Amino acid sequence: MAKKTPEGTLPTPSQNSPAPSAMQIGSIHSFLIHPGKSAVNPHEISGTAVPMSGVLFDMLKHIFDKAEEECQHNIAFAADDNGKQQNDCRDLLLDYIKNCDLTHGREVAKRLQGVTTHRSSLGLMFLMKGQHKGETKLVVSRFPADSGILAEENEKSLSVEFLERIFMKSATSYKAAVYSGKSYARDFWKGKAVDKQINSAESYISDYWIRDFLHSDFLTPGEAGTRRLAIAVRDAMNRCDDPQVKEDIAALHHLIVGMPKKVVNAKAILDQFHVSEKTKEEIEDHFPKAKSFEENFQFVPDEFLKHVFLRTVELDNGGLLTAATESFDEVFRSETVDQDEDVVRFTTEGKIVDQRFRKVKP
Amino acid sequence: MTSLRDAFVLRRARVLVPLAERIEAHLKSLFAGLARIDRISARAKDVDRFLAKAQKHDNDKPKYDDPLNQIQDQVGARIVTFYASDVERVRLEIENYFRYIESKKIVPESESEFGYEGRHFILFVPDDLIDDTLERDESVEFFELQIKTLFQHAWSEAEHDLGYKPSGKLTSDQKRRLAFTAAQAWGADLIFDEMFRQLKKRAAG
Repeated sequence: MAKKTPEGTLPTPSQNSPAPSAMQIGSIHSFLIHPGKSAVNPHEISGTAVPMSGVLFDMLKHIFDKAEEECQHNIAFAADDNGKQQNDCRDLLLDYIKNCDLTHGREVAKRLQGVTTHRSSLGLMFLMKGQHKGETKLVVSRFPADSGILAEENEKSLSVEFLERIFMKSATSYKAAVYSGKSYARDFWKGKAVDKQINSAESYISDYWIRDFLHSDFLTPGEAGTRRLAIAVRDAMNRCDDPQVKEDIAALHHLIVGMPKKVVNAKAILDQFHVSEKTKEEIEDHFPKAKSFEENFQFVPDEFLKHVFLRTVELDNGGLLTAATESFDEVFRSETVDQDEDVVRFTTEGKIVDQRFRKVKP
Repeated sequence: MTSLRDAFVLRRARVLVPLAERIEAHLKSLFAGLARIDRISARAKDVDRFLAKAQKHDNDKPKYDDPLNQIQDQVGARIVTFYASDVERVRLEIENYFRYIESKKIVPESESEFGYEGRHFILFVPDDLIDDTLERDESVEFFELQIKTLFQHAWSEAEHDLGYKPSGKLTSDQKRRLAFTAAQAWGADLIFDEMFRQLKKRAAG
């Protein structure tokens, strides 16, 4: 069914895949990245072409093939500081795509080294490029790496040896970004990113990987994502007939406005607060597109409040109670009078400061 | 082989016109409560103006070798404000709700010139407004947004219209007259904005 945006109806999505499944890796280059942020004499960067077969290739191919699925954050390159259509990182990645050699890959590696702190530590960067029917796909990934001590234990002894080799700490904990397109002018401004090294420290992926290295930001600005969530919550409240769903949403409001400014998506918020499936479905139905329900954005509490500022309760005796959503339950105290008949008594007290006639319900 | 005109006419009807409608509705919904906005509109680029732009040259070489992908104002939106300080206010709001790849304040090249002024953005089309039934290369990634005052808007509309008259290029005297009207629009914006701020300050006590 076509989803309805606040501004109109969009056609039903087809099964078009954003990345063609026949896309194969054409080349892989790898670079060792030492911490180099603010370094006076940054470490020389070593790089190599990765053979197109073997265990390492199989692992990287899996990441390349699944990149669109695994990279959950929609991101976009930023304009330069003067507002011009230019982004240093995008330029380096496009140069690499066009030339696809160690020299141009090393320039990307230098950029990553320049933002890598000792906290981020040593890393292995892989650049993977593929082409299919005029479409180019680039995956850039970074794996944590380390040097270490080899301990060999047998029945009678233990031998230890410092390994003068770098090893990849984990094949599944990595950061990645994927870009694809046909036109250098139009495409490669948007991409997708992921940080599989962390689960909850979203600010880290934002700062190191997305903002510092890629000079990008989340595609959906915080205010836009928060507005979309708030409108879906508001519309679900206003259009749903189920009193239990309405109660859930009223309670949910208090939890949401108390959330800090952090990277979230609507589904994760509703899961976090254990919202019932029925209520979740009602809210999801009021999102313009199903995929936007799971899109990450930076939550902005003030923006949320703007769209759900007033709460009104209507009684079957004609009474209408309206107050700021945030303080409604303090302004109007409620007690159940008859549970079987759902009869509730509201009480409030205060000085009258104004009275109004209205043509329609507030 | 499909000509550029045919390709754009098809894209315009199938993609750009409906997209412009969605962008206009989205902008109106976003800024419904914002004071001193005179109008918000969005439209698909006119076919002849697209073709004229596609044929432009830079240093004797064609400026665009792939105009359907390179020209970014195939959908243009406009927000017209009452006063000059409102342009900055709307700019900040736009930056809250959209990502952009270009933001520029357009002013005449030298202090002794008067001409077009305004704030121009090249914005990403928000994902919620993209028609997912289309292949990516059938549509556009960006649209242009212009923010300007009523006087800037009135001047640029008339100037644009005169520039497209078939009678040819403007004479030197006609250009001076146009610059004169631009100076008057600039002066009117300055005075209205000053008066607005003075009255607001007085009302605030």
